[in-house]
Amino acid sequence: MIVARFPKPDFSSGYEYPDIVHPAPYEQLWNWIDIFLLVALMGVVAWAAHKKHSRAAIVGVSLFSLAYFGFYRSGCVCSVGSIQNVVLALTDSGYQLPLYVLLLFVLPIIFTMIFGRVFCAGVCPLGALQEIVNVRNFRMSRAVTSALSVIPWIYLAFTILYAATRSQFLICKFDPFIGIFRLGGDVGMIVFGVLLLLLSIFVGRPFCRFLCPYGALLSIFGSLSWKKVEVTRKECINCTLCHMACPVDAIRPPYANKVKEDRLAGVKRIVMYAVLLPVVTALCALLIGSGSDALSRAHKDVYLYDLIQQVEANPEMDIPLEVETFNGLGRNVEDLRTEVEAIQHDYKVYSYLIGALIGLVLSVKLIKLSTKRTRKTYEIDDANCLACGKCFNYCPQEIKKK
Amino acid sequence: MKQKIYRNIAIVTAIFMLVVAIMLGFSYYQMQKVSPLQTDVMETLKQMNESQSDNSELQQQIRELDLIARKAYFVQEHQLKTGTMILIGMAVALCICLNLYYKETKNLPEKDMDPIDDWMAKSKARKYIQWGAVGLMLAGVAYLVLSNVSLGSKDGSTPEEELLAEAGGDEAAVAAAGDSIAVEEVDSVQTADEASDSLPIPKLTYNAFRGNNSSASSAARNIPTSWDLKAKKNVLWQSAIPKHGYNSPVVNGRNVYLTGADNSARELYCFDVYTGELKWTAKADKISGSPSTMPKVNADTGLAASTVATNGKQVCAIFATGDVLCVDTEGKRLWAKNLGLPDNHYGYASSLLIYGNELIIQYQNNSNAKIMALNVANGNQMWSISPKDKIAWSSPIIATLGGKPALVVMGNPAVAAYNPSNGAELWRVDCMSGEVGSSPASSGGVVFAASEYAKCIAIDGASGETLWEVSDYLPECSSLAATSNLVFCATSYGMVCAYDAKTGEVKKEHDLSTPFYSSPVIVEGKVYLFSNSGKAYVFSASDFSLLNAFETGEKTFATPAFTDEMMIVRTDKSLYCVKKG
Repeated sequence: MIVARFPKPDFSSGYEYPDIVHPAPYEQLWNWIDIFLLVALMGVVAWAAHKKHSRAAIVGVSLFSLAYFGFYRSGCVCSVGSIQNVVLALTDSGYQLPLYVLLLFVLPIIFTMIFGRVFCAGVCPLGALQEIVNVRNFRMSRAVTSALSVIPWIYLAFTILYAATRSQFLICKFDPFIGIFRLGGDVGMIVFGVLLLLLSIFVGRPFCRFLCPYGALLSIFGSLSWKKVEVTRKECINCTLCHMACPVDAIRPPYANKVKEDRLAGVKRIVMYAVLLPVVTALCALLIGSGSDALSRAHKDVYLYDLIQQVEANPEMDIPLEVETFNGLGRNVEDLRTEVEAIQHDYKVYSYLIGALIGLVLSVKLIKLSTKRTRKTYEIDDANCLACGKCFNYCPQEIKKK
Repeated sequence: MKQKIYRNIAIVTAIFMLVVAIMLGFSYYQMQKVSPLQTDVMETLKQMNESQSDNSELQQQIRELDLIARKAYFVQEHQLKTGTMILIGMAVALCICLNLYYKETKNLPEKDMDPIDDWMAKSKARKYIQWGAVGLMLAGVAYLVLSNVSLGSKDGSTPEEELLAEAGGDEAAVAAAGDSIAVEEVDSVQTADEASDSLPIPKLTYNAFRGNNSSASSAARNIPTSWDLKAKKNVLWQSAIPKHGYNSPVVNGRNVYLTGADNSARELYCFDVYTGELKWTAKADKISGSPSTMPKVNADTGLAASTVATNGKQVCAIFATGDVLCVDTEGKRLWAKNLGLPDNHYGYASSLLIYGNELIIQYQNNSNAKIMALNVANGNQMWSISPKDKIAWSSPIIATLGGKPALVVMGNPAVAAYNPSNGAELWRVDCMSGEVGSSPASSGGVVFAASEYAKCIAIDGASGETLWEVSDYLPECSSLAATSNLVFCATSYGMVCAYDAKTGEVKKEHDLSTPFYSSPVIVEGKVYLFSNSGKAYVFSASDFSLLNAFETGEKTFATPAFTDEMMIVRTDKSLYCVKKG
């Protein structure tokens, strides 16, 4: 609840409130420059990652992107946040999605489908910032990182819920780096951003791997990409250097399947997860759907109605600023209640949907973690590879070639 | 050597960052909680200012304190931002130092070459996900269960209140079913509280405008037919009313309820029926949605024209602001809400009625007129309908039609009956026009309604069929009262009459040459009526012959309330009790 820190003055001071001034719309030219640079930088990374195997070029792109998209353009609108605009456009016929924002959303996906996650490599200012501060990687347990990789999907699900219900843009609200790019903002988020950056010094890309919802989406397209990033085109000598260098643990070592588990038991496990998939999906849908009323309190109108109910139930309490404003505007509580009922209906529908999505992700993840594969050489996990090119500088074959 | 320097700088920077981060976190937490202008000192000074509004030194002191508090807050905010920038700068320095420190070694793998057991990692990851998912689900279920428990009492009402409301509903349903005047037992709490008092607690209730169910009758007996306010003959007490209002008193037990309002406050009063002592005042303030400035209302209507309603447990009042207030018999607020400022060019005037656990409101205004029922225990809306009638100033009644209780309301152009349990329309007769201020009456299953510039009509309550309609004498503000034989009507142009309830024929008329806003009430075979000038008239209810008429000396617009051997009259200035002796 916002504290009514500075209530309206009790006396008439003669002060006249200035007219509300809205900032001028962003110049179209800059929007198209953004798009041009987005395409150009992704092209450069694709060229560096696939053709030249040049880490230096990718770092250069990261620095430029950080300076331009991050600090100069203040990190907004970014492709990560554009998910919300797209969801809103799909669910609210009254919202006109700007072409510029649509391109910000679609272009990285197209590039990922062709070249892998070249956007994540260094074009995304959020990733670039983490990349630049990363000094040395202390490898986390693979079991832990595999489990944590579910979080971005849950974040994505709730992002969809809150955008579709016109409640708030979660990604923007909880963007940990926006305060750093703008050198100001919510102190709590800046502190969180700084802590995340400190973690990034020793752990590769924590935001990209364990939080970024757009990264979760791109991981699907990355695994299906046409051109795969390769550590080297020459024969892998299994030196393990690329694996140890990868900041996001996306290079899988050779693995001889020595599991003593009976093959039938493994198959049974996969079948069980497959059978449970609809059950888990339904359970999650039911659970999140049941909590839709509680979730809906994130919507400002529901929150306001809730406050009004509290004030009515407890007339002795201080009237919160929101309720005071509501009263001042002369709005009708019954009308508000009608609106709130419509909002809660929307929440009900979308909560079931995102619950199902979370259940589906959990089930698929479990099935994926139940598969066994034998690898003879080091292989790149295309879903998780961010095409940062760090491995290029470690591969003896590449060094030899250069 | 250089590496050591970088390492040490990094360590110092990290420690410094940690300290700054902790300080920032603490400061941030403090700022989230702080309300600089809501300190005890400030509140005390403000309270002092209310009683010493001409003390300029005090006001200056408040202003200075206000300024200091604001400055302190913004200085702290500035420090917080500065600290954040320092933190960011330190983070950059730390990165640089660490980069330099690891310059020579960062290209080397930091771990041994043991192969990772891929399958073990996957197995562990599966376990983590499974347990994590189960844990989250359990937490979600626990949250849902707990929040549902709290949601169960979200409306603010306790189970006891719900039970009370239901109990009240039964009583009212019984009362309405018989179309008779309810004789209710007062609750045991009241009895215990007042056991020491030797005076008996009145058994007869008069719970709304014109009595229970707004029936315009009372079972009271031994009401004097003459009294003298100045000589205090047959007048038990007379008390001043703090604020003005045109609403009428209602009586339940020893309590007399009425309201008053002006631009500064809207208040509900409780007087002692035996002593006239003002027992408590409940203010209708701090209600969310209540307009900060009072609506413009006609002087003949005022801000408190609507009569309150009670069921002996709750007392509800409504004002021209759209504020509804519900208190218990001790004046403690149970709930309050604003229905929205009524768009009403004369001012909101419709009175309240309690039926079962429903508080029925004929919410009349130009833009979104409604008839609604709120749960009297907690104010939650139970049902609401929006008839397409124009604005009116009439009040609802509960009548027994076809053997069942029905809500009857007058509007423009319809007189309509509804199921009081859900608002479903039973019948509707378009017969009114102009500005409808009068309220209907009912007797023997027939509904009687009349309004100036329209007609007087009798409607079969079971079928909605019009039985008769006349237009000899029509009321403006005063409402009808009816027995099985006669329908009594008082006009604003000085004529009063009795229509034949079966035919509509004028059985008796009197030209009294004085306007009537107050409504007639049938008590013990008599009709009591007050003119605006304060002249009291007592008629025979059987033939409408004038039994007595005398000046009381005080203008009277409200309709009197009756209880055991007592009549409570609200005048323009005061409230008094008429009782033999």
